[in-house]
Amino acid sequence: MKNKTILIWIFTGLIIFNIVFSAFAHKVNIFAYIEGDRVYTESYFNDGKKCGAAKIEVWDNQQNKLLEGLTDEEGLFSFILPSLELITGGLKIVLIASMGHKAEYIIAEEELGKFRELKEKESINPVTSISSEDSSGDLKEITHRLENSLDEKLAPLIQEIRELKKYQQEKISFTEIIGGLGYILGIFGLIAYFLSFKK
Amino acid sequence: MHISEGVLSAPVLVTGAGITATAVGYSLKKMEYKEVPKVAILSSVFFVASLIHLPLGPASVHLILNGIIGLLLGWSAFPAILVALVLQGILFQFGGITTLGINTLNMALPALVCFYLFQKVVHRKINLLTLILYFLCGFLAVFISAIMVAIALVFTGEPFIQVAKLIIIAHLPIMVLEGILTMFCIGFLKKVKPEILIITG
Repeated sequence: MKNKTILIWIFTGLIIFNIVFSAFAHKVNIFAYIEGDRVYTESYFNDGKKCGAAKIEVWDNQQNKLLEGLTDEEGLFSFILPSLELITGGLKIVLIASMGHKAEYIIAEEELGKFRELKEKESINPVTSISSEDSSGDLKEITHRLENSLDEKLAPLIQEIRELKKYQQEKISFTEIIGGLGYILGIFGLIAYFLSFKK
Repeated sequence: MHISEGVLSAPVLVTGAGITATAVGYSLKKMEYKEVPKVAILSSVFFVASLIHLPLGPASVHLILNGIIGLLLGWSAFPAILVALVLQGILFQFGGITTLGINTLNMALPALVCFYLFQKVVHRKINLLTLILYFLCGFLAVFISAIMVAIALVFTGEPFIQVAKLIIIAHLPIMVLEGILTMFCIGFLKKVKPEILIITG
């Protein structure tokens, strides 16, 4: 019994150590978002360490490679969104870090679609304003101002949503750790059960 | 040192899975009933150890502890590490399901090698020499793992020397730390509970 107690102590120690340092480990993450006409990507290890000088490849749904590049020291990489006609389906951004690490982030077709709509609206707006009279000039001015102030007001919110998305992608919860330990006990319990028939 | 999904080519994955399956099968056949709790506990240790990340060196590295696991488990290191890696893959998305075989092999084979190299040392009296050998056990296990990961990556077209150097340099702090941990852990167990170091079967 004594040896088990010791191991349990060592083990508890490890868990506490883990919580104290809020440690996360070995996985690379990539996170991407569209802003304006650029796509911004951030690459980092699970513990938040930036993943610099790693290769980034951008693919579409049909396995066409659209472009590739390297992240900078801060793990950042951005590119101009290729013209939407070139992209079939969504965008798949693949991060290839050293030592066999790889991660990908998918920008879904719907998200690109929203972006496409926005662009179309922008390009249509000026045309309608030319065709009409003075009053629409005011309208245009108002819309423009409205859009600007909306952008400004929503910026922190968008930032927060981004952070949340990022957090969701990388977090390891305590429940998962405890759950995993439970599975281990169960699996070896099963092994023990079958071994108990062996004499 | 978890190799991610989609990095390695199919032949490497299949070879890794094949060797791992054989080794796990063999060790389960060999495993004795009273050994099972020990294997389960060390599997749990391996499972949480990789959550302990150390902000040392150029890359993100974590504890592996395959030296200690090998020394305490021998052949049973294979099922212990496999089960832990399955759960890490499912719950934390470390490594991947297709790479399970090769990842298990990369971690468990060095554990086994260390078991055969240092098994006799464990039963000697503790002196400076044996302590150094314990240190070497922890150190070597991670070192061999690093080399094996580099070998696996060679088939993806990465130049061996360069990758091996990179992985070894990144894991140097871990090697030293695991050496020290193994030294204290085995020294402690020897004093308090030497029976645990005797592996039957």
